[in-house]
Amino acid sequence: MASPSFAADKQYYQKTLVKYRIPDVVLLDHDGKEVRIKEFFDTDQVIIVDFIYGTCTTICPVLSVGFSYFQKKTLKMGEKVRLVSFSIDPDNDTPEIMREYLERYDGQTGWTIFTGKRDDITAVLRSFDAYVSNKMDHYPLTIMRGPEDNQWVRLHGMLSASDLMKEYMQLKKE
Amino acid sequence: MKNIIILIFIAVIFPLPSLFASETAGGNTHNQDLSEGERTSREKSPSPGRPTNDIAVEGGELSCNACHQHTDYTHEDALRIGERMYREGILPSGEPMKAYVMEDIPVEGSMFSCSACHQHSGLGSVEGTVVTWPTNGRELYLPRYRTGAYKVPETKEEQQKQYRPIPKYYEIEPARPAYTDKSLAKALALGEDPTGRTIDPIMPRYSMNDHDMAILIYYLKHLNDEFSPGVDDTTLHFATVITEGVEQEKADDMLAVLNAYVKARNSLTRHQLRRADFGPFYTSQKSKAYRKVNLQVWKLSGPEETWREQLETYYAKNPVFALVGGIASGSWQKIHEFSENYKLPCIFPITDLPVISEEDWYTLYFSKGYYQEGDSTARYIRDQMKQDALLEDVKVVQIFQQNNPRSQAAARGFSTTWTSLMQRDVLQLVIKEEQLTDEQLQKILDEDAIILAWVDDTRLFTQIEQAGIRPRILFVSSSLLGQALFTLPEQLRNTLLVTHRQAFEENKQKSRFVVQRWLETNDIPLGHFDIQAKMYFLNWMLPGAVKRMQSYFYRDYFIEGFDMMIDQDYAIAVYPRLSFGPGQRYVSKGCYIARLKQGEKKLLPVSDWVIH
Repeated sequence: MASPSFAADKQYYQKTLVKYRIPDVVLLDHDGKEVRIKEFFDTDQVIIVDFIYGTCTTICPVLSVGFSYFQKKTLKMGEKVRLVSFSIDPDNDTPEIMREYLERYDGQTGWTIFTGKRDDITAVLRSFDAYVSNKMDHYPLTIMRGPEDNQWVRLHGMLSASDLMKEYMQLKKE
Repeated sequence: MKNIIILIFIAVIFPLPSLFASETAGGNTHNQDLSEGERTSREKSPSPGRPTNDIAVEGGELSCNACHQHTDYTHEDALRIGERMYREGILPSGEPMKAYVMEDIPVEGSMFSCSACHQHSGLGSVEGTVVTWPTNGRELYLPRYRTGAYKVPETKEEQQKQYRPIPKYYEIEPARPAYTDKSLAKALALGEDPTGRTIDPIMPRYSMNDHDMAILIYYLKHLNDEFSPGVDDTTLHFATVITEGVEQEKADDMLAVLNAYVKARNSLTRHQLRRADFGPFYTSQKSKAYRKVNLQVWKLSGPEETWREQLETYYAKNPVFALVGGIASGSWQKIHEFSENYKLPCIFPITDLPVISEEDWYTLYFSKGYYQEGDSTARYIRDQMKQDALLEDVKVVQIFQQNNPRSQAAARGFSTTWTSLMQRDVLQLVIKEEQLTDEQLQKILDEDAIILAWVDDTRLFTQIEQAGIRPRILFVSSSLLGQALFTLPEQLRNTLLVTHRQAFEENKQKSRFVVQRWLETNDIPLGHFDIQAKMYFLNWMLPGAVKRMQSYFYRDYFIEGFDMMIDQDYAIAVYPRLSFGPGQRYVSKGCYIARLKQGEKKLLPVSDWVIH
């Protein structure tokens, strides 16, 4: 793995391969449409997942500008990638707030933000080993999977644009 | 008005680099759309995406090619424009600020701004694994010392020791020296602090010209450069507001619980003053932060129009650090506006008529009150319509009382949310005499309708029942009707749904017990339990928010302490749970839709607490 940081000897994220079981829950996308998550994840596209919330002050905005920039680049390249953000603050994050959030980051079709019932969101977070009891304790996490893969690539830490692109390209090759 | 000529600031005090030399020459050389191939050079170059090539660095110092710009702002204008840059990410030109984050991700101010991480206060935040350092004037322009510094182990033996040795105080060097304007500009543009250390790449590297950089730095220099009013060496001054029209018993119940907090805080049970005098030097900052609390009671009387003047008089006499608790018989608007204008935090007033605003900052409410009931009803009906195609053609009718602000708040909540969710008209009927006029009655007589009746009088329901109207669903408010809810005509009960924006008692027995035991322990007789429970919760939260401030007595930082709180369900006996978050100003987010239980004076929920 190439060093993703400014300093050549410093690594800003850790990479692991993990198996996850997607819970059978129905969530709301940013248009307020009900979506069965298990079916949504059953796709022949690469899926990249992160966890955000609407009023987050530090981690989420940086994750989301990363998604935004990545999406612009992959769209230009003609790539089809499914970007998924799950809200970790479902009490506050209505679909309308998620819609505004997506617009703020210039998200295009292909990037979906989910919110929903607190218990269902918790089920999703637990299934991806991303649950924290206090949302202020959440950490930067990006998880991706290729269409045929049964394992997910779990990237723990902040990613630069080139880190994300490199991991995506590697996933495609595998 | 103090006139400050920024020209002097730019040209003399603040010799900045020509950050946008290439732009002034006709274009921005920053590549906003770097290809993957270009990225591969990153390991060789410290930051290919950053604007390093645009900045002239000579012998470690930044040189200035374009700092002779003629711009003069008053002090106030510079702060206003700087604040817009800091909070909204908008340059003086109106364009969004541009930066690179995580080395190579281009970001615009419209996506996030300085205050997103560093907060309004500039005191920064901690979120998960990311620590955002203070950027307010007072902290930036002083050296930063590590608190609780330990001596870095030099040998293997030292590394294996259970305890790390603490260095002598004179051996502690600052983690970084004080910033100067020049080194601050370097940090903002290049991501390098005065020690030469590279700042975490999560901190954006901003691309802006000298003029704009000067304004941002001017703002940061003045951002919370002095402690807020309302605190001195020994005391933190709070006030609580009681408006005219509040029953004495309710005011007493609120005050008794708040005073118990003050008494506990001031009792020095943890020997705070002694520990501050004799504690080890590395904890002195924390120990010396202790302040006694003084609680003033600000009573507002007469017409609402005079309240502002009364508040200003109280404030002029005794400027306080924050308003805590408080209770109003009606709207909180006048106090809300005062708080906003004076940048005075107001924490958890007891009111069902808060100001509903997404932008206002300084008042933290328990809930949106009646407005929330209307909002949740709109969402519930939308969901039902999505599930049941037969509801599609059903008319939606909203009835509310002309002279009842509570009724109007619920109606406003419904209308606002309904309009944002649905492209369907609602028949609005305003009633004056507690009943519909004949003309109004005719409009709904033969309609298959969902009726929302935001009224506190049962005569309307008698009229509806006698007119033979049988709504598909009839929504009413449990907080408006109270116990009268259980006296509604039998014929309407089958279709009745009730908004209920509090927890059901049977689900909060444990929390209720906690509050009741606490009241007993503090010799406070059981009174209006809702009020006491809410103030108990405030007492529960206040120590955490005060402690978090340590010695940084800034009002913005105080209210940010609440923003950072973990969601609560244990200490609140009134709501199922309360959730917090940066900028979130209504901590109860839900309202049940419930039905009457057959043969009992009881409600059963038919929806979740939070309805999307």
